[in-house]
Amino acid sequence: MNDKLEVIPDQLAKGVSRRNFIKGVIAGGAVASSATYLFRASSLLGQQPPGLGERLITLNVNGQARRVDVMKQETLAWTLRYKLGLTGTKLGCDRAECGACTVLLDDVPHYACSILTHSVRGRKILTVEGLANSDGTLHPVQQGVIDEQGFQCAFCMSGFIMSAVGFLKTNPNPTRLQMAQGLSGNLCRCQDYDKILTAMMRGAENMRKAHHV
Amino acid sequence: MSNSEWKPNQQKFGAKYKLIGKDYPTPDLYAKVTGKAKYAEDFRVDGMLFCKLLLSPVAHGRVKHLDVSKATAMPGVKAILTQDDLPAPADSVTDLGVTIKANPLGEKALTMEPLYHGEPVLAVAAVDEYTAAEAIEAIDIEFEPLPFAVDPLDTLRPGGPNPRLQGNVWVRPSMPQAKPGEKPPSPPVPHVGELKWTEADFAETKHGRLPLGKAQDEWVVGDLDAGFKEAALVLDETFVTPDTSHETLEPRTTLAYWQNGKVFVHMGTQSTVQTLASLGRWLNMDQNQIVLVSEYTGGGFGSKATGYIFAIIPALLSKKANAPVMMRISREEEHFIGRARPGFQGRMKVGFAKNGRITALDMFVICNNGPYDAVGDANTSGTIVSLLYQPLAMRWRGTTVLTNTPPRGAQSSPGGMQGIVIMETIVSKAARQLGLDQVDIRRINCPEGKAPVGPVRNGTRGHSTSAFLKEAFDRGSEQFRWKERTARPKRSGTKVRGVGVSSSCFVGGSIGYDGLFVIRPDGRIAIQSGVGNLGTESLHDVHRVVAEVLGVPWEKCDVTWGNTSKNLPWTCVSGGSQTTHAMTRAAHAAAIDGKQKLQEIAAKVLGGKPEQYEVGNERVFRKGGGRGMTLPQAAQHAIQLGGKYDGHEPPEDVNKFTKASIAALQGQGLLAAAKDKYPRDGQTFSYVACFAEVEVDVETGKYDITDYLAVADVGTVLHPKSLSGQILGRSILGIGHAIGQKWVFDPHYGHTISLRFHHTKPPTILDVPVNMQWAALDIPDPETPVGARGIGEPPVGGGCGAILNALSDALGDEIFRRAPVNLDTILTSLEAGRPTQDPLTAHI
Amino acid sequence: MAVIRDVMPAFQLYQPSSVADAQKLLGQNGSDALVLAGGLDSMDWLKDRIKKPKVVVDLSGVSELKGIRETPDGVEIGAMTTLTEISTSPVIRQKYSLLSQAAEVVASPQIRNQGTIGGNVSQDTRCWYYRAGWPCYRAGGNICYADTPVGRNREHAILHSERCVAVNPSDTAPAFIALDAKFVVMTPKGQRVIDAEDYFIGPDIDITRMNILQPGSLLTAIRIPSTWAQAQFYFEKVRDRNVWDFPLMNVASAMKSSGDNIQDVRIAVNAVAARPLRLKMVEDSVRGKPRNAATGEAAGKLAVQGAVPLQFNAYKVPLMRNLVKRAIGGVQEAAWAS
Repeated sequence: MNDKLEVIPDQLAKGVSRRNFIKGVIAGGAVASSATYLFRASSLLGQQPPGLGERLITLNVNGQARRVDVMKQETLAWTLRYKLGLTGTKLGCDRAECGACTVLLDDVPHYACSILTHSVRGRKILTVEGLANSDGTLHPVQQGVIDEQGFQCAFCMSGFIMSAVGFLKTNPNPTRLQMAQGLSGNLCRCQDYDKILTAMMRGAENMRKAHHV
Repeated sequence: MSNSEWKPNQQKFGAKYKLIGKDYPTPDLYAKVTGKAKYAEDFRVDGMLFCKLLLSPVAHGRVKHLDVSKATAMPGVKAILTQDDLPAPADSVTDLGVTIKANPLGEKALTMEPLYHGEPVLAVAAVDEYTAAEAIEAIDIEFEPLPFAVDPLDTLRPGGPNPRLQGNVWVRPSMPQAKPGEKPPSPPVPHVGELKWTEADFAETKHGRLPLGKAQDEWVVGDLDAGFKEAALVLDETFVTPDTSHETLEPRTTLAYWQNGKVFVHMGTQSTVQTLASLGRWLNMDQNQIVLVSEYTGGGFGSKATGYIFAIIPALLSKKANAPVMMRISREEEHFIGRARPGFQGRMKVGFAKNGRITALDMFVICNNGPYDAVGDANTSGTIVSLLYQPLAMRWRGTTVLTNTPPRGAQSSPGGMQGIVIMETIVSKAARQLGLDQVDIRRINCPEGKAPVGPVRNGTRGHSTSAFLKEAFDRGSEQFRWKERTARPKRSGTKVRGVGVSSSCFVGGSIGYDGLFVIRPDGRIAIQSGVGNLGTESLHDVHRVVAEVLGVPWEKCDVTWGNTSKNLPWTCVSGGSQTTHAMTRAAHAAAIDGKQKLQEIAAKVLGGKPEQYEVGNERVFRKGGGRGMTLPQAAQHAIQLGGKYDGHEPPEDVNKFTKASIAALQGQGLLAAAKDKYPRDGQTFSYVACFAEVEVDVETGKYDITDYLAVADVGTVLHPKSLSGQILGRSILGIGHAIGQKWVFDPHYGHTISLRFHHTKPPTILDVPVNMQWAALDIPDPETPVGARGIGEPPVGGGCGAILNALSDALGDEIFRRAPVNLDTILTSLEAGRPTQDPLTAHI
Repeated sequence: MAVIRDVMPAFQLYQPSSVADAQKLLGQNGSDALVLAGGLDSMDWLKDRIKKPKVVVDLSGVSELKGIRETPDGVEIGAMTTLTEISTSPVIRQKYSLLSQAAEVVASPQIRNQGTIGGNVSQDTRCWYYRAGWPCYRAGGNICYADTPVGRNREHAILHSERCVAVNPSDTAPAFIALDAKFVVMTPKGQRVIDAEDYFIGPDIDITRMNILQPGSLLTAIRIPSTWAQAQFYFEKVRDRNVWDFPLMNVASAMKSSGDNIQDVRIAVNAVAARPLRLKMVEDSVRGKPRNAATGEAAGKLAVQGAVPLQFNAYKVPLMRNLVKRAIGGVQEAAWAS
């Protein structure tokens, strides 16, 4: 990561080396926003409400450097969904109790609803949108879902898929029980657990086959 | 099971079909796995505002002071919506032209007299959620507290508090007589009245039995007294079932905006077409001025059957603020406004003959309704029990009581589940006392064929279209190795195991809806679907019938769904397990219409009579060889012929909603449209036999479910993989009621205190066996063309019943008298040697 | 003023990269500051808008607080080490498996991937009245809503409650007590090293805190002495759901045997009181006794002496008795072939 300094209000940081706060970058360029949506209504420009002390930071999302204005209290799920247009990551509970927001941080599953965006600068963020190849070829775990008609309403699906992808990095050849344990931080209210497990086992099989090619 | 095995289907289905009974990936799956599927909260509109709700901090009260000046003065706050901004509740008109008068006491989107803790009082729209939340906190509001009740028995007591100022029950005045030749009269508007039982009634509670006070409704079939006299065993048991939130994973987040005088509403709803009427009623607007977008819905389970009234909040705020408004509903808000299954306090007196046959059944239930419109669970519980156990004589009595708890709604197998669960524990106890096998006692009471159901109405009793539950028990007993398992030792170390079996059934289909598709000149079949996409896959599964009948590859079919501006046909509510049955019929009717039109076009163009032509392989051709034409050619001819062939002349009998869609689609190809007018003798139900094994640790009370099997009688199997998801998924919904799901209220303060998933306990993947089993009989229902019935709800009661029965098999009858059964109940009862939990006190 | 339980309030966020800087920030901001470790407990308070700190000090960038180091007399675990790192650490699994067992059953995989050991032992109680913002004793008020004749207290205390009946929900805390761990705390006056059991405090000491940390203090590390390395361990957590749920109760014991006899033992239970309880009387009573069912039975009975159940948590008495029995005398495993 670049090591340029950011300005920290002096009165709040007396005696603390500024350098130590820095993980992001300030540079020129447009702030990321989804195609049709501006985060702040234009009428507000120049009249910012008190909570929105936003700071421009760079995030590594799905292999791309994304620059984005982020509030101090903003969660990663919010940044992904409302600032970067990555709405595949869902908010089911916003309290670390359902897993619909699961993303990988440096290959490890995390609840994006319960981590501050400012604390993931410099980490490799992978969301469901980043799984398939650019040519549209699905990730083997996604293909497993197609093969087995996994999930019902699928609101939990991206979270489950990200958990499975993360888990399979630590255990590529799990038993059904181990897979269930790996997926256990994800809630499915259609309660399609049996078919989900089957789809994820199929996904694991697809991955092993892909690696043997 | 080896590591690499991913559980292929055990059975093969659809032997006589090309598509029906075969697996295929549903067309919405790619968007779902890539995160591209857009649920309501995934839409973004320029200048979108966010709204937050101010919720009632009291169980019942009245706003006595409200000052929003500080909030409105905050930069970024755009509009505030209160009850005063809501349109007057609108009357509605049924398909038969009957006007249903709006009830002034019905639920509102916002209210100044909240009737439960958590009820929305007002809404603020601001430039972002942060500002909206700050604005809520800047609002000065005071409530005058009013009397409240969170438990039905509290309000039924003499002198007990009333949850509403007017009383504690809905009173429905008797229906005026229809005059011959005139339009049926409007049913009178129900009002709230008072129902109190006597001290003498309540004496029963001292014995842990439900008081049998005056019931609101009742019916009787057969001679109850004679039935009890004949009985070799009579059991009289009280049992309580939990209130359980639907807890769809997608909260009922809604986005709304106005464009050219129309309001666009993006929301998660179970039904596409049928939600429009609700929105029209709530907004008091013409349906033509409303566009509903609901391509993907994150679960419904009954709670979003035809949408939800709170969807009008962002719509009205959007109008007021002149900007799009996103109302993101938090999980806590979802707990309050997201509906729940009503808990039952039930008591049944059941007489059994020596062979286990039920000679008499006296059923009494109280349904905890919450403060608003009455749910039908109490009534349905009686109907389902009467069908599933075929008692020789039966009385049902039911009372639906208002309380100051979040509003209830239909949840998968509404009423059926509660009735089955109360009954199942009694059947299990009877089998033990009579020395009968648990499968045998259920088999002997099984409905079969055209089995009678419910009360006598207009001189006759209704009956089922078909029932093959006995066959399901036979298949299940074998597959589950029932005899072998029941013969095994029960106790080892600190573990005791038990096996349980349960009957289950629920409504499985409705009739009379429309099918609509266009065979286009490019050879593709454009199927219009008004079915909601809540994940059951019936949205796509039912339309496979069109391709099957026409002999067209499924890959040539495009299903359009999820947006009411896209010319959809009149469609059933996607709820109550209706869709598979209702819409395969409609699809079949439309496919037959399309086939006939193809034959007629061929005859007109190529000579001969229509019946001399066959349809298949994307062609219509002369039987036994000879001339024919491709479907694209036929579509071109249809456009040239016009009239009924390309939609210029719609069928007379389809719904006006379908007619409007046909008018918009006319001239695009061969248009097939038809109403389902197939005969049906009886009411459609589906059935499931459920089996479970549990292992209980008697030192901690903790138990695991070690095995589960459900065998379904759902008629013809349409799509095995989606069926497996429904059978096992809905089984787990039922299992959740046995192992932990609940609501908890503080009775002194009237607050819901179970606000988080770790309080309400929806089952996790590690709470159920990792390898659950299912099977389907695949016997076509004789009263519907494809033979398929619905399956969403029937397994729920059985899932719960099988676990409870396995527990009592392991631990005996004297452990629990309510569900869910948790380790605290088990441990204290084992310790005391008797049930320690008062069945009538609320969940803790 | 109206209440809303959604959307985090604004705060100033600091992300120091050294303990020294973190301490300075905490010193400067005192009770205005909230420390964020894994953040899973803190974020609930923030999202519910019950706590509105001016300053949040996020420790995720302090690398010196992370990691497991073997020391001459045991291991030292940085407070910001995740629960997953602990449950998968070879040295912990090999020598102190009591702790890896405890860490493995916390909440869910994602929470273990983010939740830290410092956070797990320092987390606040989950009493649902207190967490919903009711103005109870623990929140500075003058009533306990759980301890009323109709209060919903199934998950509350049976021992040592004083006005407040909330329990400590940590799964790893009893394991640390059983392992005789030492907690390293940086205070404004310097470093303190405290016995695990003394880190936790009940309502008798301070009804508003679960541990000794005062504003400006920081738990930096936990040291496990080698004294109990590879001892006989027993850990069991009892909960409703097998994922996410906090313990209804848990027990941890470390034991050394000599022949068939118990030579020495440490045992602790949690979720029975506002702090995890070390059962010294039990330890004393079983030392020198044979490790068998009878000793376990006696230990269990002794453990629950003085336990006073509330309206809805009577099960906790036999549960504690049986868990202690198992932790001392072992479990009679089922022996059937399915």
